Amino acid sequence: MIEPVKDALPARVNGSLDLTFCRESGQTRLRVVGQEPPLKVVRAFPQPGGGTLVHLHNLSGGVLGGDRLAVKVQVEPAAVVQLTTTSATRLYRSRSGLKEACQTTEIRVGEAGLLEYLPDPLIPFAGSFYRQTTTIDLAGGAGLMWWETVAPGREAMGEVFAYHSLETLLAITADGQPVALEHTRLEPARRPLTSPLRLGPYRYFGSFYICRVGVAPASWQALENRLNELATELSISGETLWGASQLPAEGLVVRAVSRHSRAIPTGLVEMWRISKQFVWGQEAILPRKTL
Amino acid sequence: MQLLQLTDSALPTGAMAHSFGLETLLSEGLLEVADLEAFLTEYLAESGRLEAFFCAEAGKLAVENLSEENFPAGWKALNRRISAYKPAREARQASLSLGHRFAQLAGQLGIQSSRGRSLPVASVKARSSETHYCAVFGLVGGWLEIDPEAVVVAYLQQAVAGLISACQRLGPLGQHQAAQINWRLKPVILQAGQAIWQAEGEPPPCFAPLLELGSMRHPALHTRLFIS
Repeated sequence: MIEPVKDALPARVNGSLDLTFCRESGQTRLRVVGQEPPLKVVRAFPQPGGGTLVHLHNLSGGVLGGDRLAVKVQVEPAAVVQLTTTSATRLYRSRSGLKEACQTTEIRVGEAGLLEYLPDPLIPFAGSFYRQTTTIDLAGGAGLMWWETVAPGREAMGEVFAYHSLETLLAITADGQPVALEHTRLEPARRPLTSPLRLGPYRYFGSFYICRVGVAPASWQALENRLNELATELSISGETLWGASQLPAEGLVVRAVSRHSRAIPTGLVEMWRISKQFVWGQEAILPRKTL
Repeated sequence: MQLLQLTDSALPTGAMAHSFGLETLLSEGLLEVADLEAFLTEYLAESGRLEAFFCAEAGKLAVENLSEENFPAGWKALNRRISAYKPAREARQASLSLGHRFAQLAGQLGIQSSRGRSLPVASVKARSSETHYCAVFGLVGGWLEIDPEAVVVAYLQQAVAGLISACQRLGPLGQHQAAQINWRLKPVILQAGQAIWQAEGEPPPCFAPLLELGSMRHPALHTRLFIS
């Protein structure tokens, strides 16, 4: 008789997604080069204007300690892609012996292509260790709309900043030249997130990058002004703060902090609508979440 | 003695005109003068450490003794990276403005290395090129062959002193209190400076969203004492 192993650790998972999007006959097509569970895509939904929408699924329901996830996305010239998730990404507590979970995302957007990456928030559970590395390279005329929001934890269960470590690295380059670089490491027990340098009284935070290679700096300045008008409208002292700023080249970033879970996602949609119209002269199409 | 002069607040770099977002935090009530010391301690652990890293990197560039031909490319790449780590336009432009003034001043001072090499002023001063304050400070320190650890710590000391001085003009912070805060932060400054040399060649993490938002929201303040 085989004895059950006490405190058996779940198997370490090496999930991956390798997606290529190409433009054929005026429509963007998805080619799944490879996928390994728990990551999966099911199908692509055509969008008006030749774009395509794809939902990124994690069949585990979240990221478990020790998971190694790799996502590779190639947007070929003139392809227009919208990627989203089906729900918030839950970062589960890491069991001892399987500490850090990590995800590596590598993206390349070809000439005049556009990637809109609009996921639901990250929710780091108490005791979670997570590291995320994202590299995005944009070719001439390529565009990017990229947002990310982070919750303090399972707030409804009283879990606020109870995670162990949340580390993110982001590099956005245009033809190999750096446009935006970020490396953050949040360790709430070591470095208080309530510092007025970090989040102060706020709990949720988010960033939104809007880039298009080749757009004149004066246009980015005009968009910064417009988005900061909206930022002023959306900001309520002590509740939610917004700000927008031109990057050193090829784009703009929006930052937000809030006490409330819904304020940032709602405001991001407004920022996105204005930016899409301003930079591409097109309406932003919300990703459908239900079929 | 050279380092003492280069970190003197009387050095005409224009540093007194910048608060790097602090003005907004104080104006919006996110930072109280009473919390300044704790704030600066965290600043040194995040933004300060990142700037110190690039100050050290620029010092290495001086020591590497790059040829006149290769120096501009290395300098440009370093400063582009620094710019990309600074998402808030006003704070980035403030860093560039101080960097250019410091470079100009270094040129006027005729700074030479002990081996008689002159600072590559043309590359560093050029308006068309990006020259951040932390980088040019590190470069000049390297050029003068001053102990790199001392250069980094001196850079952080003047940065902290600048923020305290800004706070004195923005809130109820007296001279004695300011001097005490500055004095008590010395071990933290040393720790932040020393941590750079233990890093593995990659910029340290930095998470300072409220300070960045302070800089992004600064142009919208009704009354402003500072440029940034």
